[in-house]
Amino acid sequence: MAENLVSEANDITLVDTSAECLDILRDRLELRTVLGNGASPSVLREAGAEDADLLIAVTQSDQTNLCACLVAKAVFNLPTRIARLRSGDFVEHPELLGDDKFAVGFSICPEQIVTDHIRLLISFPEALQVLEFADGALSLIAVRAFEGGPLVGHPLKALKYHMPNVEVRIAAIYRSGDAIIPEGDTMVMPGDEVFCLAATVHIRQVMRELRRSDQPTRRILIAGGGNIGFRLARSIEHDYNVKVLETNKRRAEMLATHLDRALVLRGDATDEKLLENEGIDETDLFVALTNDDEDNIMSASLAKRMGARRTLALINRRSYVDLVQGGPIDIAISPAQTSIGSLLAHVRLGDVVAVHSLRRGAAEALEIIAHGSPKDSKVVGRTIDHVALPNGATIAAIVREERKADGKVMRRQVIMPHHDTVVESGDHVIVFCTHKRLVRQVEKLFQVGFAFF
Amino acid sequence: MSLIANLLPPSNVVIDLEASSKKRVFEQAGLLFENQQGIGRSDVFDSLFARERLGSTGLGQGIAIPHGRIKGLKDAAGAFLRLTTPVQFDAPDGRPVGMLFVLLVPEQANEQHLQLLSELAQMFSDSKFRESLLNAPDAASIHTLFTSWGPNAADERRTAV
Repeated sequence: MAENLVSEANDITLVDTSAECLDILRDRLELRTVLGNGASPSVLREAGAEDADLLIAVTQSDQTNLCACLVAKAVFNLPTRIARLRSGDFVEHPELLGDDKFAVGFSICPEQIVTDHIRLLISFPEALQVLEFADGALSLIAVRAFEGGPLVGHPLKALKYHMPNVEVRIAAIYRSGDAIIPEGDTMVMPGDEVFCLAATVHIRQVMRELRRSDQPTRRILIAGGGNIGFRLARSIEHDYNVKVLETNKRRAEMLATHLDRALVLRGDATDEKLLENEGIDETDLFVALTNDDEDNIMSASLAKRMGARRTLALINRRSYVDLVQGGPIDIAISPAQTSIGSLLAHVRLGDVVAVHSLRRGAAEALEIIAHGSPKDSKVVGRTIDHVALPNGATIAAIVREERKADGKVMRRQVIMPHHDTVVESGDHVIVFCTHKRLVRQVEKLFQVGFAFF
Repeated sequence: MSLIANLLPPSNVVIDLEASSKKRVFEQAGLLFENQQGIGRSDVFDSLFARERLGSTGLGQGIAIPHGRIKGLKDAAGAFLRLTTPVQFDAPDGRPVGMLFVLLVPEQANEQHLQLLSELAQMFSDSKFRESLLNAPDAASIHTLFTSWGPNAADERRTAV
């Protein structure tokens, strides 16, 4: 996480109880380190809490994270505090998190984010990546265009004729790794990685245009019943035929009591015999979720070779992700890459709602709320073609909210903007950046001018 | 008299303020408004920080005009702070900020508040005025500089001669 933040030119101090960890990170990254417990006032003071804008408490312990937020608020008046809370227990009691209690401004649970991400991928078997914006009103999907898809070999403008009633926007196309800014005459070629945006209600129809529909997913085998494996099994066990493999006896027993329909098996997913006995050749999806990268890679590769139709593996080390994706492993998920966005949204300047890493961190999709008036904003009141975005960044969609008198959102309107669409204050603007280095310029553009009140 | 003169009591001019970051400057501002005008310090702090997040109020040339709305505030209030050491402020020219005019307005901001801002911007765009602020020996003389400022001050002086 620190690596991501350092690369964005933040001034960072890292606190940890392990001197060894700090030494390694200090050598690799440009940051300050302080040895000690991050929940203790003296340690936080030494780390510069008196001058800090943001505290991110992401230790393994929920209690430490809560305590760090409390101390940061009460002792140092630190304005923004984020805590990682793994247990649902605390999140279900918002009264504990208020400014006068533990003072957690925002809580994040990386395990839940990764689980949700995998669940979306399971429900869209054709997609490489599925992301939601504006509270789920809008979806972005990445698909690999295949020979035989209705649009493949045709220009993008043909989409309109294929789906006259659906507004869809192709945000970017990657061909052999290079970004192509799509225009009406751009041809979709087999093998292209196509990023399209549509209202979530239309997304399946759009997907059908780009790919032959794969057969539906029924049988899912999850290797590893840890935090994520358990959450995933619990969230999908009523919709699919789910089996969970877990090596640890006690953990397996715990899973068996807490899961309703999923079948829990004790054993090692790298065991060929076991996979064979469990009908791996009839498995639609094999999901490797242990906390060991090598195990996940090996078991998923093995499963694929033995006939599993699609494989997904959790891989922490970034270099491994690049190495294996597209080979025997259809989708490699980096937990850090998947969950960093929810943090970055709070770190970035401006009213950034969501940040999604795309293409393993190379590109980014941002959801930013436009504020201000034509007088003090470079975005509000302008038509899309007069918003001075850097090359490689495009306004892919706008979600406009209609609110009731009490401020509650009544309706969300998804707008696929044209060159003459005018941005209004309060619009959620989805910006697609083909390269991460464009992000700062985009955020600057959306910042209000000095005269904004 | 300038619009600004009306909302800047002499007690709200502070020089030689020691603050090592934007956060601490806002804390000091909160404290000042609480002590002088009875405006809750955390209201001031939160309002200034929230506004700053949407875009820096740094003008460049080491000047910033942090501003925000305060619930329940009747009349606009201002404070001028001169720091011993400039702090980082994400200003457009990237320079750290050493002099700040903090402006608080009622929740329903209107045309008058925009006039206040524009008058402040006009004041600070005058390099002679900036220089005088920077070199003024004490708070009282800074206060005089604000109260005697007029958009045509330079012209008036010329006429007098």
